[in-house]
Amino acid sequence: MRIRGALAVALSLGLVLTGCSDAGGGSAGGNATITFWDNNGGPGRTPIYEELIKRFEQKNPEIKVEYVGVPSASVQQKYDTAIAGGSTPDVGGVTTSYLANMIGQGALEPLDDRVDAGPLKGKLLPNLVETVRQTAPDNKMYSLPSSGNLDVIWFRKDWFDEAGLTPPTTWDELVDRATKLTDVGKNRYGYTIRGGAGSVFQLLTEAYAYSGVEKFFDGTTSTVKDPANAELIRKVAELYKKATPEADVNNNYTQMVAQFTGGSVAMMHHNLGSYSDVTKALGTDKVGAITLPVGPSGKKTVVPNPTDGFAVFKNSKNPDAAWKFAEFLVSQESNSYWNEKVGQIPSNTDVRSEPWIEENQPVKMALGVLEDPATKIVPAPVYLPEYSSITKTDSEPAYQKVLLGQLSPQEFLTGLADKLTTAQQEWEARK
Amino acid sequence: MTETLVRETVAEPPNRAAPPRRKRREDPGRGWRLYLPLGLYLLFTLVPFYWMLVFAFRPTGSTALVPWPITFEHFDTVWNDLGFGLFFRNSLLIGVGTLGVVSVLALAGGYALARFRFRGQRLFLLALLCTQFIPGAMMLIPLFVIFKGAGLLNSLTGLVVADTAFQLPLALILMSGFVRNVPVELEEAAMVDGCTRLRAFFAITLPQLRPALVAVGSFAFIGAWNNFLFALMFASRQDKFTLPVGLSYALGEFNTDFGALAAGGVVAAVPVVLVFAVVQRFLVQGLSAGAVKG
Repeated sequence: MRIRGALAVALSLGLVLTGCSDAGGGSAGGNATITFWDNNGGPGRTPIYEELIKRFEQKNPEIKVEYVGVPSASVQQKYDTAIAGGSTPDVGGVTTSYLANMIGQGALEPLDDRVDAGPLKGKLLPNLVETVRQTAPDNKMYSLPSSGNLDVIWFRKDWFDEAGLTPPTTWDELVDRATKLTDVGKNRYGYTIRGGAGSVFQLLTEAYAYSGVEKFFDGTTSTVKDPANAELIRKVAELYKKATPEADVNNNYTQMVAQFTGGSVAMMHHNLGSYSDVTKALGTDKVGAITLPVGPSGKKTVVPNPTDGFAVFKNSKNPDAAWKFAEFLVSQESNSYWNEKVGQIPSNTDVRSEPWIEENQPVKMALGVLEDPATKIVPAPVYLPEYSSITKTDSEPAYQKVLLGQLSPQEFLTGLADKLTTAQQEWEARK
Repeated sequence: MTETLVRETVAEPPNRAAPPRRKRREDPGRGWRLYLPLGLYLLFTLVPFYWMLVFAFRPTGSTALVPWPITFEHFDTVWNDLGFGLFFRNSLLIGVGTLGVVSVLALAGGYALARFRFRGQRLFLLALLCTQFIPGAMMLIPLFVIFKGAGLLNSLTGLVVADTAFQLPLALILMSGFVRNVPVELEEAAMVDGCTRLRAFFAITLPQLRPALVAVGSFAFIGAWNNFLFALMFASRQDKFTLPVGLSYALGEFNTDFGALAAGGVVAAVPVVLVFAVVQRFLVQGLSAGAVKG
């Protein structure tokens, strides 16, 4: 009898307590409710958005914004499922790494006309706009860029000072500093290599920074196999185990950052996104950032990181309200607030004059690089549907072989270049 | 010949096995040989839990191997800033809901599979088994479309339905094994005494199935508690998210909050550990009954 009672209680609890389904979104009585998906929800960013939503709702009391923080690792799958099921949000955070896929599925509104008709006209950092446009076959702007990111070398100022060394400006100097700062007995290494997940994208940014090659494709032929790119990979691979921890062959960014913030490496190549982690762990006085060093050509070539932005979805029942919110997020005040908190490059050029830019050395330096007319931007072909599988699934294990001395850098790059060339030719044929 | 045989028999020790057995009992190294590898294995198993506790209780930036002084800042972050209070409630409701529905349906279905013969029974059992080979991710988009049509998106009920659909086949297979293990003669005797089949089931069979219910219910609860994919995909409102989704918040694109991740892991692990601590006796009993005799 007691079992029967327990079963009945469990069943009724299950059915009654969970029976709280409700409909979302829509507009009622002139008031609009829009849904906003944050593509990188978490303790670092969610409170910033909550503050911005509060400010937006105060200025626009007729619009209510529902915030949904989506974990960054699953956001692409979540968008794909929502698009396939016809249940997309009104506004969503997107990066150029999966923007082409969403444009291909016809889920997004082009925003060019809306930008030109509003206060953001001429106020967006041209390099970031260009990165966004290159993801679309029709060269339109399907995402309103909000933040840029740049690869940098984070370094331990205190270790450099102790050893009487200056931060490197060339790759040969980087190799020299990494070797000098290594003291295996003290568990100190000069550098850390990303050998695991995400390694190849990072490696390519290093290779192009070194070689000074200004285009990813020469016609439709990939320039990845350029001998100067191979030379850089050889230099990096030679550092492995001599000036880096042996476990680096499996390093993803989390492990790299943990090694750096844990005090066992002197230099780490990552991007501005690590700002809050490294400064929180080590303090701003102990950490500095430099742009990726140049190679023998002396040219400053930059492979930009995916650009963050906001997209308005075609299925939105309130596209005007959705645009109003996206536009608000990239206004000078909001864009400044957001990028100061996360330590990234603001897309709104008016933010350049804000005092915090002068005080934030990594962001100021990155802005300087992007604004420098001598800087050559070499956008990676993230618009290729196969780009992710080529650079991750196919190439990451091959790069590990390079680190372990089982494959030559030139062979590795030739294999990678051939696949990219084929993908680019197919892309051009489909255009 | 006989003499030789007798002599040989006499020359043999009366019981060859006895002295070595005594020797083994006196062997001082036996405990070490048994417990040292077991202890090492236990340490190996516990190291990830130890790290989780260290990260959860030590202050940000500390590299100490022992979390002292203990801080609760990470628990504050996950519970208040990340909304784990709400996620915990949602996970609990989904877990209890799935447990309830799966237990009742598995009990009814398992009884039918064990006690009745019907056309296509073997095929049905085979189909149940085959459902276990289908990964949840494959069913995601069709399920999403069905749930959207049925108004089950963004609701905890929808998640209970999805979890039940995926937990039920295994629960049915297990439960039918458990029911077969209860002698049918007991029910028949009750029916001879005047009970209806239903009354005989409740009075005689159901009490025998207590360990089985605990086993099936625990698996259903834990399966629903840990389900990340459905909770992430079918809920697009922050107030309907569950603990596994909340945990992935601590893993950002550019930064990882190890303290929050570990504290969230502790919060998520506690109910599972408690469930196992309370029910493990029933669980072993139930599983072995089903596995060996069913």
